[in-house]
Amino acid sequence: MTALEIDNLSKSYGDLRALNEVSFEVPAGQILGFVGSNGAGKTTTMRIILGVLRSDAGDVRWRGARVDADVRRRIGYMPEERGLYPRMKVGDQLVYLARLHGLSKDRAVAAMEHWTHVLGVHERRGDEVDKLSLGNQQRVQLASALVHEPDILVLDEPFSGLDPVAVDVMSDVLRSQADRGVPVIFSSHQLELVERLSDRVGIVARGSMVASGPIDELRATDTKQWILALAAASAPPVAPPGVSIHESAPGLWLVEADSAESAQAVLASAVQRGAVTEFSPVRPTLTDLFRDVVSAPEEVA
Amino acid sequence: MLWLIAKREFRTRALSKANLISSGIMLVIIVGAALILKPFIVGGDHEPDVVEVDSATASALIPHLEAAATAQEFDAVFAPVDVPAEPELADGVAGVIVGPAEAPELFVEGAQDSLMSVVTSATQAAALESQVTDLGGDPAAVTEALAQAVPSVTLLGEDDGGFESGSFFAGFAVILVLFFVLIQSSSVIMMGVVEEKSSRVVEILLATVRPSTLLGGKILGVGLYTLLQAAGMVLPLLFAAWHLELLGALEIGVGQLLVNFSVWFVLGFALFTVLFGGLAALVSRQEDIGSVSTPMMLLMMAPLYLAIYLVPSSPDGPVTTVLTQVPFFAPFMVPMRSAFGAISPGETLLAVALCLISIPLLTWLAGRVYAGAVLNTGGRMKLKDALRRG
Repeated sequence: MTALEIDNLSKSYGDLRALNEVSFEVPAGQILGFVGSNGAGKTTTMRIILGVLRSDAGDVRWRGARVDADVRRRIGYMPEERGLYPRMKVGDQLVYLARLHGLSKDRAVAAMEHWTHVLGVHERRGDEVDKLSLGNQQRVQLASALVHEPDILVLDEPFSGLDPVAVDVMSDVLRSQADRGVPVIFSSHQLELVERLSDRVGIVARGSMVASGPIDELRATDTKQWILALAAASAPPVAPPGVSIHESAPGLWLVEADSAESAQAVLASAVQRGAVTEFSPVRPTLTDLFRDVVSAPEEVA
Repeated sequence: MLWLIAKREFRTRALSKANLISSGIMLVIIVGAALILKPFIVGGDHEPDVVEVDSATASALIPHLEAAATAQEFDAVFAPVDVPAEPELADGVAGVIVGPAEAPELFVEGAQDSLMSVVTSATQAAALESQVTDLGGDPAAVTEALAQAVPSVTLLGEDDGGFESGSFFAGFAVILVLFFVLIQSSSVIMMGVVEEKSSRVVEILLATVRPSTLLGGKILGVGLYTLLQAAGMVLPLLFAAWHLELLGALEIGVGQLLVNFSVWFVLGFALFTVLFGGLAALVSRQEDIGSVSTPMMLLMMAPLYLAIYLVPSSPDGPVTTVLTQVPFFAPFMVPMRSAFGAISPGETLLAVALCLISIPLLTWLAGRVYAGAVLNTGGRMKLKDALRRG
């Protein structure tokens, strides 16, 4: 399988253990949303993938082979701290970066023209980066990650500071890159966005990967919950054996059942007693998962 | 890749508006000044002063005047004329001499020290001649005897050669230009490194380029730029010197000066900029650059001053000889000593070889510091930490 595999990465800064045996993988053509609180180790992981930092232990592999300088040149990278030459023109800068990644001059110019157009900054090609608004600088930054037609995309907080329209443009670009067969890793604190856009999620906390996998698998839970909403003045539902019911808000009941059949029985009895306005399974959102994981007590103090 | 980085560095520096304007102004000033000043400095075909001598009373003085003028390098023509009773100075006439020959009267406008001294000598010679003739002697034999009465001088003890100002200024000019070019290129390198660091673009670059390649490309690009800039200054200066006919005044050949300069520019440039480039990575902001650049400037000033003060007083003393072989001192010591002609080819070759050996070592060291420090943000990084991380 062609995938980007992150295998047991560890990294310490002095006494601070920034990464602790982090492992996950991103299959080609999938988007991995990388979430975690500040200082959890997202940026460190990405920098290690890019070879900008060296890990103390562990490997990064692409198509089964260790990522080396040649593979790294084929990665598109957007660092957390944006970086472009402030006094260089947008067009020149993108062509230069594309050529540093090994593109010929003609291809570099064509790619620059394509991506400035897609990202809506084509009218600013002749302006120095300094003169652009932060949002537009961000678009140029993304263009710099895409301009060499990368095989892998690693984007550290690509959505921060973008307006809703730009978020849509950026999401479309990430999706189309994934459809091209590129594994995409991006980090974000906008969990709804991650949930909507990603195929897989990795949650990192205190330097360890605490949950990773396809988003649907993560959201599936052992105890099954349903939400039951009753019209006003209805009698409260009755709990059969194996089911617990408690009122979470007036008229809103949370049903925890060991099986779908027991839950259906609760629904049937509720319908007899009054009008049911809603009955649906509850799956934890990414935000719920994240809170659970992040608020979990630290095992190692 | 290296070339791509060097090209960007070169283009950014060389094609910047500020550089184009300042180089243009420099060129115009030097060439323009040479063109405008030529008549004043060279003086063109200088007209000799005309001194009128009264033919009736003082014509006997004329050969003595001419001899005295030649001896005192006073450029003048002595013209016998009939001076009226009330002498006056015509245009272009420096003075009028009226006899008698033993006690002539000199009419001048304002003080004319050299003319007066010429006339005094001539009068004394004339008086001596008439006395010798009166005594029955041969004035020509006396003059000859006087000319030969010169002591011969033998120096005892060691010949320290005195202070050779010509060689000193030739050597001084080379190392001073070298010093400024090196200071300038080093600070350009440092600013470039810190600019990439503070704008964080270095993180993108390092994802595709090795730190040593990035540093190397920068140094190459800035080096070419500085060389072009130095040429942009030296060539108009050479033109000016040629136009003003000053080249002949140098005791040392211009060709040798230029060879000296180029060899030690390349070596000195490699030594200093590699080191400065690596160390500049220790700081993250332009404001902090002084904490690295100040000690570096001192490191460059020490050899400059030693070369200026030590070499003239002891061109081949033991301290000078040893310092010549120390890589950071060599770029200043060798041109200075060679201007004094006090260095053997063997010493020069050894100094060049030692520099050539130390450049890769230094590059390796600076590359390590650079790699270790370039992604560190915040305050100034300690050299030790950078080496450990690199």
